[in-house]
Amino acid sequence: MAPNLRLNAVAFISPQNHPILIRTFAKQDEHSIKYHYIAHTSLDVIEERVNAGGKAMDCYLGLLYAMEDVAVYGYITPLKVKIVIALALSDSVVKDVEVVMIFKALHMAYYSAISNPFLKLDASMDGVQDHSPYLLVGSSKWKTFRERVDEISRVLSLTSNAVSNP
Amino acid sequence: MATSSKQYKNVGEDLWKSRTEKINAELFTLTYGALVVQLIQDYEDYAEVNKQLEKMGYNIGTRLIEDFLAKSGIGRCADFREVGEVVSKIGFKTFLNITPSITHGIAPTQPSSKHDGAAATQASGSTFTLTLDENPLAEFVELPEEALQGGLWFSNVLCGVLRGALEMVQMQVQVDFISDVLRGDESTEIRVKLVKYLEEEVPVGDD
Repeated sequence: MAPNLRLNAVAFISPQNHPILIRTFAKQDEHSIKYHYIAHTSLDVIEERVNAGGKAMDCYLGLLYAMEDVAVYGYITPLKVKIVIALALSDSVVKDVEVVMIFKALHMAYYSAISNPFLKLDASMDGVQDHSPYLLVGSSKWKTFRERVDEISRVLSLTSNAVSNP
Repeated sequence: MATSSKQYKNVGEDLWKSRTEKINAELFTLTYGALVVQLIQDYEDYAEVNKQLEKMGYNIGTRLIEDFLAKSGIGRCADFREVGEVVSKIGFKTFLNITPSITHGIAPTQPSSKHDGAAATQASGSTFTLTLDENPLAEFVELPEEALQGGLWFSNVLCGVLRGALEMVQMQVQVDFISDVLRGDESTEIRVKLVKYLEEEVPVGDD
């Protein structure tokens, strides 16, 4: 396990570029709003990569960019839901395969949340392009999803701590 | 042939492995979830939804028992306790690939005076409780507030299945959910209570 894989933030963005969930874990940052900004800027980069990628698209988009103290990685699901994570910059090498694993875990958490049959129940039936579930971003229905994402982050910090402690 | 708990387990295991056709679990879960949600939208009353799920289960159970008996070749159960064992270790295993743990209730000793024969000595009022550690019907499900307050039993179809199946083998039972992890309880429990043994009924219209 690579040491020092500190997950600062996770953002899920819908195909229509609406935020689904933005979760920050770093306690030292007072302005967690900066992660909203990071998610926003990532969208442009992702769109570039996707357009450049053409037909053969891999889900994992790799390092999108780095700024200040974080490195931002992107992932796009087959249905165009974007997952963006911000890892704290560190001197150690971050293996691609680790990051892909994180994304897969997040993707599965998202899938489990989406599979809840009650998710659409309260969504407005106004015939809007079928993406109403995503609009209920702050609602209680996403609670378990938030917990799962928190759990992933917790496991990550646990394993990285275990390695870095001499 | 004395059948022990372990033998039941083996029969169930064997039936699941070799003689059951399987489908994708997620498809099954999503289908059932969509069904419940649709019922809620149609009836808008959670008690009614519970009833409908139970009715649907009843219809399924009356048919399922034929399949079960044909495949398993299990003979008549000696007492209600054995019924519980067979249901939990062979029935659930064959159809859902889960083995709920079973707790037998204490049967009140009240010999029925209406019927004669061996059936009378089986005390009606016997119960057993099935505790499901996992419920394939309810994977990924989170009940919304209104459903929790409205008293929805998400997997109520299972109660109907048990009632229908047991009725076809001459047992009238009352099956209810006692607790459900979806509602925040510690475990998911179904209680099956024997009401009475049914006599062979002459079909209506025969003279």
